[in-house]
Amino acid sequence: MALCEAEKTFVLHGVEENFRVDGREREDYRPIELETNIVSHAFGSARLRLANTDVLVAVKIEVDVPYPERPKEGKLEFFVDCSANATPDFEGRGGEDLAIEISNSLSAAYKSPEVFDLTKLCILKGHKCWKIFVDILLLECGGNLYDAVSIAVKAALWDTRIPLVKSVTVDGNNVDMEVSDELHDCQKLDVTAAPIMVTVCKIGEQCIVDPNVAEELCSVGAVVIAVSKDKFSTVLQIGSGSLHPQTLLECLQMGEKVAQRLSEALTETLSEINPNKNQDVGFLK
Amino acid sequence: MPVDHKRINGPEISIPYQLFDKLNTKSLKTQFSEIVQPNGTRADGRTSTEHRKIFLKTGVVSQAKGSAYIELDQTKVIVSVFDPREIPNKTDYSSKGEIYCEFKFAPFSCHKRRLHQQDAEEQQFSAIMKQALESAVFRHEFPNFQVDIYAMVLHNDGAALSAAITAAGVALAHAGIPMYDLITSVTLAVQGNHLLVDPTLEEERLCQVPLFKEEENNHGIVVLSVLATHEQISQFYQSGYLSYACLSSGIEMLTNAAKDIVTLVKKCLVKHVIKSVRIVED
Amino acid sequence: MSEQYKILHPVKYFRDHLAHKIRPDGREFGEYRPIVVNLGSISTADGSAIAKVGRTTVVCGIKAELCQPKAEAANEGFLIPNVELPPLCSSKFRPGPPTEQAQVATQLVADILKNSDCLDLKTLCIFPDKLAWCLYADLICLDLDGALIDACVVALMAALKSVTLPAVQYDPALDNKQVNVQERKALSVTNTPIATTFAMFDDKILIDPTVDEEDLSTSLVTIVVKEEELCFVHKPGGCVFTEEQLLKCVEESTKRATVIEEIIETAFKSL
Repeated sequence: MALCEAEKTFVLHGVEENFRVDGREREDYRPIELETNIVSHAFGSARLRLANTDVLVAVKIEVDVPYPERPKEGKLEFFVDCSANATPDFEGRGGEDLAIEISNSLSAAYKSPEVFDLTKLCILKGHKCWKIFVDILLLECGGNLYDAVSIAVKAALWDTRIPLVKSVTVDGNNVDMEVSDELHDCQKLDVTAAPIMVTVCKIGEQCIVDPNVAEELCSVGAVVIAVSKDKFSTVLQIGSGSLHPQTLLECLQMGEKVAQRLSEALTETLSEINPNKNQDVGFLK
Repeated sequence: MPVDHKRINGPEISIPYQLFDKLNTKSLKTQFSEIVQPNGTRADGRTSTEHRKIFLKTGVVSQAKGSAYIELDQTKVIVSVFDPREIPNKTDYSSKGEIYCEFKFAPFSCHKRRLHQQDAEEQQFSAIMKQALESAVFRHEFPNFQVDIYAMVLHNDGAALSAAITAAGVALAHAGIPMYDLITSVTLAVQGNHLLVDPTLEEERLCQVPLFKEEENNHGIVVLSVLATHEQISQFYQSGYLSYACLSSGIEMLTNAAKDIVTLVKKCLVKHVIKSVRIVED
Repeated sequence: MSEQYKILHPVKYFRDHLAHKIRPDGREFGEYRPIVVNLGSISTADGSAIAKVGRTTVVCGIKAELCQPKAEAANEGFLIPNVELPPLCSSKFRPGPPTEQAQVATQLVADILKNSDCLDLKTLCIFPDKLAWCLYADLICLDLDGALIDACVVALMAALKSVTLPAVQYDPALDNKQVNVQERKALSVTNTPIATTFAMFDDKILIDPTVDEEDLSTSLVTIVVKEEELCFVHKPGGCVFTEEQLLKCVEESTKRATVIEEIIETAFKSL
């Protein structure tokens, strides 16, 4: 997509008047659709659609050996796959850099023990732990990837069920464990502090959230802000521009406010999903 | 893992011996209080806002167009910059030049041996470096070309990324690539109420996890790069768990700290200019 | 003017200099560049050294790890050298897997180590068949201006001499290891091989060539000497050296080896 100067001015004026091209205000998101538990072979999954952005997240769990330097912790890994169907830019190896950037920012955002407690994934200190693989598939790319991915990841982790370990026996250097056979005997992850990322985009003198593709083209720089509870877990600048310190602070404030609202809405939505109710779910709905 | 036939490989499994050392039984909290006094004085006698001694030199790599070497006390980083060349594997025209950054830790630079291939952390640092330098360079002066910047950390004792960005700025200037401003970068480590500018590796390690309870559970690392004359932040990266109040005071501290280094960078470049003028005169 | 001349007619430029019995950088044919050795400046490594031969700079860091010995050599440890020519050191290289030149250099350094027998691998064994040291010697070239092998060998030998290994108590019955990091011991390096590279151009032999001279030369030869004895010769094709010329080279490299050995000794003493 390419915009001419007049179109850019139009977008810019809209942002200044707090009335954007699609009728939203500066702090408004586009409608988000979220489904959980849709991949039957995964331990937890979620699919999120934010306007044209479509993300599928599946969580896989394996038993692994903890890192020798951190024997009491489990492992959490993110892998982003930018499908070539998502946007023509991803053809060949085009999406690789972006995929690495997103997965690195997620690892950074989930790194602090205050955000996600890895010690809960430990089965036997120094011998056995759970390793969680979070696979993120970008099905369609319609702007604002970081936000969409972070919400989908949080929902997928919320949906994840870890099998209950019935017993662990140690015999010399051999460790045997027994997992409960009951399908419903499982434990859920604590995701209350899992971060939500908000991309704050600077256009002209103002900052907006959730830019669409046209708005993304008008801005020179953006800040991705990952907020967990009331604290910042990761902040990184993207794009090639630079910011005045004051602007950065404004972005941070705005990001925190929006993330809080988003997080509340998500928690509410997730709590409405009742696993006992037999809901119809499907890819095509 | 596939076998690397282009290098000599060691035994399949080898373990760092440090893991079998007599365990350091002190809690992280005591370790932290040992290296940082309540009033902010640190193990090496610095105050919380003080930099380590910095050594900066240009022209260390004779084969490169521009190069710089920086030492932050023990941390040692070398950066070289090469002539613009055509962007490889590119079919369409790009009106702005590209910057290619590669950040690498030498295998022996850290406590744990690093592998020869770039790992995720190094890739991320390369991306941050690129982001920081892009807004400092006149990219429209070399459309369809790319400038290669390589940074190698020889010894990591904290703040390696900042050191690499500052040195890359100097190396770009030394290579004669047109820039808007000098770029300087500083790292900040946060633990509770302590904000430590230019942390050592030990300080960085102890700032990864919260050591204090409740209200004081701020912890994390912040890296910030500044274009001083234009008062612009060209790159900002934070990880950990920080409140807004803490982060905003951190940003202020870092911007000031980054400005402190500018004089040093200028001095280093002036020295280079004087030297080259002398050579021409002779 | 001379810059342009050099770029347009590199061979003629070089030949003109040689006709006046001088090399482009002002040296005589048999004159080698100054050598600088710095020991132990990288404390994260168990041994380290930086060697400069003229402008060619190589840094060597050695990291020790624990491993199980090979079944066919149960009482030996490992010494794994790797030469890295990162894109940082010269515009000839691009990011990616090691280039051919790096692979050749790695193999050469490994062969020199093996031929010279400077470190008995048996001394790296802690308990036969169970536990041994593995020394990873990573050589990184920071500036490539010719005579790479010379600089690599100097850096490697100096770094090996500066390696100290911690004491290990091993209990084979329980497979328990206890390392005492404070109590460290140096390696016993029995001899110091030193490499010298020569370049041939129009029947003239140049000692310690720069990268420009290497590129223009018709033949290169690297001679490794230890304790005044010939230990290894590497001559990868190119034009012919007469017996007389080769003997002269060996003689020159023996002289140079004594000087370099002294330099390493001095650096070691000032550590």
